[in-house]
Amino acid sequence: MRRRTFLLASLLLSTPVRAAAASVAYPPVRPGAGLVFPRDHGAHPAFRNEWWYVTGALDTPIADTGFQLTFFRSRPGTAEDLRSPLAASQILFAHAALTIPGDRLRHAERAARANLGASFSSADCDVSIGAWRIFRQADGPGELLRLQMQSPQFSYDFTLTPSQPLLLQGDGGYSRKGHSAQLASYYVSWPQLVVSGSLLHDGHRHPVGGRAWFDHEWSTALLGDGAVGWDWLGINLADGGALMAFRMRDAEGRTLFAHAAWRDNAGHLRQFDPASVEFAPLRHWTSPRSGALYPVEIEVRIGDRSLRTRPLLDDQELVTSQPLSVVYWEGLVRVEGGFRGRGYLEMTGYAGKLQW
Amino acid sequence: MTTLACWLIRAQFRSRRAATLLSMLAIALGVALGYAIHLINDAALADFSRAMRAVQGDPDALIAGRDSSGGVPLASINEIASDPAVLVVAPVIETRVRVGSTPLRLIGIDVFSAAAVMPGLLPRSAAGGAGGDILAGAVYASPALLDKLSLPIGATLTLMRGDQQWSTRIAGDLPATDQNDLLLVADIAWVQEHFGPTDAVSEGRIRLAPGIDAATWRATTAQLLPDGLLLRAPEDDSARAANFSRAYRVNLNVLALVALLTGAFLVFATQLTAVAQRSTQFALLGVLGLSPSLRLLQILCEALAIGAPGALFGVSLGYMLALAFTQLVGGDLGGGYFSSSTPAIVPRIAPALAFFALGCAASLAGAIYPAFLNRSQPLAQALQAGFAQIVEAGGVRRRGWLPPVLLALTAFVLSRLPPWYELPLAAYAAIALLLVVGITSAPLLTRNLFAWCAGRRLPAAQQIALQNVAQAPLMAQVAASGLIVSFALTASMVIMVSSFRTAVDHWLDQVLPAPLYLRSKATPLPQSLLDALMQADAPFARVERTAHTSLTLDPQHPAVALIVREIERGNPAARLPITGPLLAPPADRTPVVWISEPLREIYRIEAGQWLRLPLLGRTVEGFIGGVWRDYSRQFGALVISSDDYRQLGGDFHPTDLALWPLPGRDAAAWLAPYVASHGLELADAGDIRRSSLSIFDKSFAVTYALEAAAMLIGLFGLAVTLAAGVRLRARELAMLGALGFSRRMLSHAVMLEGALIAVVGLAIGLACGIAIGAILTHVVNPQAFHWRMPLQIPWAAVVCSALSTLGAAVVASHYAARRATRLPLARILASA
Repeated sequence: MRRRTFLLASLLLSTPVRAAAASVAYPPVRPGAGLVFPRDHGAHPAFRNEWWYVTGALDTPIADTGFQLTFFRSRPGTAEDLRSPLAASQILFAHAALTIPGDRLRHAERAARANLGASFSSADCDVSIGAWRIFRQADGPGELLRLQMQSPQFSYDFTLTPSQPLLLQGDGGYSRKGHSAQLASYYVSWPQLVVSGSLLHDGHRHPVGGRAWFDHEWSTALLGDGAVGWDWLGINLADGGALMAFRMRDAEGRTLFAHAAWRDNAGHLRQFDPASVEFAPLRHWTSPRSGALYPVEIEVRIGDRSLRTRPLLDDQELVTSQPLSVVYWEGLVRVEGGFRGRGYLEMTGYAGKLQW
Repeated sequence: MTTLACWLIRAQFRSRRAATLLSMLAIALGVALGYAIHLINDAALADFSRAMRAVQGDPDALIAGRDSSGGVPLASINEIASDPAVLVVAPVIETRVRVGSTPLRLIGIDVFSAAAVMPGLLPRSAAGGAGGDILAGAVYASPALLDKLSLPIGATLTLMRGDQQWSTRIAGDLPATDQNDLLLVADIAWVQEHFGPTDAVSEGRIRLAPGIDAATWRATTAQLLPDGLLLRAPEDDSARAANFSRAYRVNLNVLALVALLTGAFLVFATQLTAVAQRSTQFALLGVLGLSPSLRLLQILCEALAIGAPGALFGVSLGYMLALAFTQLVGGDLGGGYFSSSTPAIVPRIAPALAFFALGCAASLAGAIYPAFLNRSQPLAQALQAGFAQIVEAGGVRRRGWLPPVLLALTAFVLSRLPPWYELPLAAYAAIALLLVVGITSAPLLTRNLFAWCAGRRLPAAQQIALQNVAQAPLMAQVAASGLIVSFALTASMVIMVSSFRTAVDHWLDQVLPAPLYLRSKATPLPQSLLDALMQADAPFARVERTAHTSLTLDPQHPAVALIVREIERGNPAARLPITGPLLAPPADRTPVVWISEPLREIYRIEAGQWLRLPLLGRTVEGFIGGVWRDYSRQFGALVISSDDYRQLGGDFHPTDLALWPLPGRDAAAWLAPYVASHGLELADAGDIRRSSLSIFDKSFAVTYALEAAAMLIGLFGLAVTLAAGVRLRARELAMLGALGFSRRMLSHAVMLEGALIAVVGLAIGLACGIAIGAILTHVVNPQAFHWRMPLQIPWAAVVCSALSTLGAAVVASHYAARRATRLPLARILASA
């Protein structure tokens, strides 16, 4: 569940643009669309938001190193009538982060408009900003994903080899985000990807190994009534299973909507309705930067099991500046209890109300 | 010892108050002018760089088309952006538009990339919005533009360029732009939508990833670029700014040095007469034990006592001058290189010290010869008879005419040398040598000329004056040297400026063949007007269209003007002031270009050669058919016929029209609606001529001030030396009085003496002036500015100024004569 694009888009848009956005006819998200791959790995530029999101945990060179690379595509509804190829009708952002245990979180970002330093394909997964890129390669017997990014502090060039089939979230990829039917997205996950490649860090190039999680989601819907943010988890379970859970929160921290999906190591997928998913904060960490109070340790009950999150580092808060400042917590956690594994926890809307 | 030195200095200042103050003032003036010029140029240059940085940002590299009418294809921008060594490429589309009749720059930026490279261009929304307005097509105005247009933020406005229009809204301002910049910033896509170019941008400004060596990256990447694109370093732009105004700045500084040089001569005159006057005093001190080297030191100390306060005063005066000038006029000293903004004068310690030292050095240099003379005075003789001039006279006789002739030959050779570091340094050295020649030949001329005159039968008073001058050539030399230098420089400047002005005048005749001109301030002319001109009822017998654009031949040099003209390939001389041979191209379809003289000099190419032109995104070989005279585009220009340009695939969008109205038709009235609605400029040939010449005159205004200062100093020098001479010869004059000479006769004799010295000074000065004028015209101008012109000596002006200087010299010697008539004759005789 990656809804922070809404936030970025909304910040990018000021009043007159939002008025213009209202006049743009975004397609609705409907159940039963029947996703086709690799076509649906590519971009869906007619929709308002889209993201390609990869998180993972490395075992080498340093165990429990977390990484994240996300590309966002936004169609803000501006400059729609321009014939100019430079029209800012499709904007791309990218965030990258690296968490090394015992160190601080490092992150980098990029932003550009399509056709001017950024591009995306509508036929397959291939999105780039400058030399940053996520793309799918289908040569030879199998297929794989490549991640490339460079920043002054760290760079990586990873190859992700699938070990399991795609996981279509919700109803064949139609994923509900609220009680109202419009609050939904198309959502495809690809858990348990095997990571290889190299990480350049502190001037040294290291070969890496680990496991990653790929999400691709696109939608038109905005944040639901009363929601200020969300908590989300995507965990590669130690036994080979995959677990995704999220909840939408209101200003008082109450759950407005929740959902979870668990595919066990036999490939059996179980979905959980809002009544079966419960988030309970156990320990908070206060950000010295934003002052936000994040429940870094959460107990999540999913059906009849429950898990606890243990962050590898308390401070995995991201403060991005391009094109505007966005503050959220996104980091590698270990889960214990009824489920065991590693993955990413994302918490938004804790550093003040979202601008929507 | 120190006490004695101080006491002597004080005594010297008291007894020679006027001369000392004048010397100080001359030094101060020279230092002040030089320092002020330095400060103003420095500030203007810094201002220029700062303004450029504000708009251009601080990229590691810039990519642009070599041809200003082209651009950088979008594909090239995206290719560079995907290079891992590149952090970000910030593209801009820059174009000139107008609002009403105000021309301004419209810069289309990409807010996503601009922040990393050119934060100075980032807009600020009035509503507190954060950049959304810009993507929706709003524009942002610099504070200066809002001021100029008297529009509030939130107002709507219509931007026009040729026939294209864009109505939009001002959503905010540009807080970080320069206070003088008239510019609008909008989203790059909206600018492209309304004003083009399609699928290209004007420039890409590149920020490299940290740790990437910019020079290496530029070198590697440049090889991969298509022909029409140029990858340059931002330093190139600053270097260019410094380069293109350097010759002008150096010339001004040389003029300031001249003022200082004249100051040094004045110190020379003062100290020499002081030595002569106090020879008895010094001889007495010498007998009492003051060693020769201390006597030498004393004179140098006295010079320093004049130079140091003068230089100090000069530095502060220069600072005030610079401050006043920039506040009142701006940063441009007349060269037209810098905008007329008000740059901040920032005095730094090193240049101030350097100019102070220069003032002291000038003063010391002036005193060296008198100091040596003082050391070598034969004491006994000086005690008895005062200053022994014979020492010098003997020296002159021995050396004769050889040294000046050798020096003149050296000067001639120097003037034939090519420029060094693109500066006419050898020519400047030749000019300095010529001045030395003038001064050293003064005593020779004086002696020979006046000895001959003195041989004639003349009334006693005149005879005495002639004898005096002829037998005391050193004093005459001192008195004349200031005049020689100042008149030589003044005459040479008058000759150079006059030659230049005559040449410009003649050139204007040739380049303005049509009675009427219409231009559109760098935007294409409206198609409606061009169509209407083709109609049969248009009131013109003939219309010639021209398009102005520019090409970058070398990133270290400013872009050259490319002028696409409707001109006959076979007969360019009908429209261009061709200066050399006209060559026919080897083949009929070869593109021919005619290059301007500056272009030939800067790029060292000649008619008949081939020029590689970065035209229309590729390299085109153009045959150089001839060279034409151009005084308006100093960085070079080339003309190509519109037929050739079209044949190469270029679009001919005229920006200028030359019009020949039909007799009896009111052309101006016919054009008026177009002029009004498109903000065009209509001028008749006479207006352009007048305004061009007025710009010319303005740009030389500062040199007139320097000449006047030099002449004044020269005249003061004459008066001071004559007065000193009178004192020195008090005994002789008293004797003459006793023999029955009336005061009137004595006064006449002194005035005649002054006039004779002035005549010698002016004659030598004139001769030197003509030689220097020729060097300025034929060597300095072509080498420094790439302007060639014939030498035209304005005899009337030169002779008039010589005569008026002579008149002033007579008046100045009247001051000395008054002293002669007021001498207490009886007492002098009694004390003898």
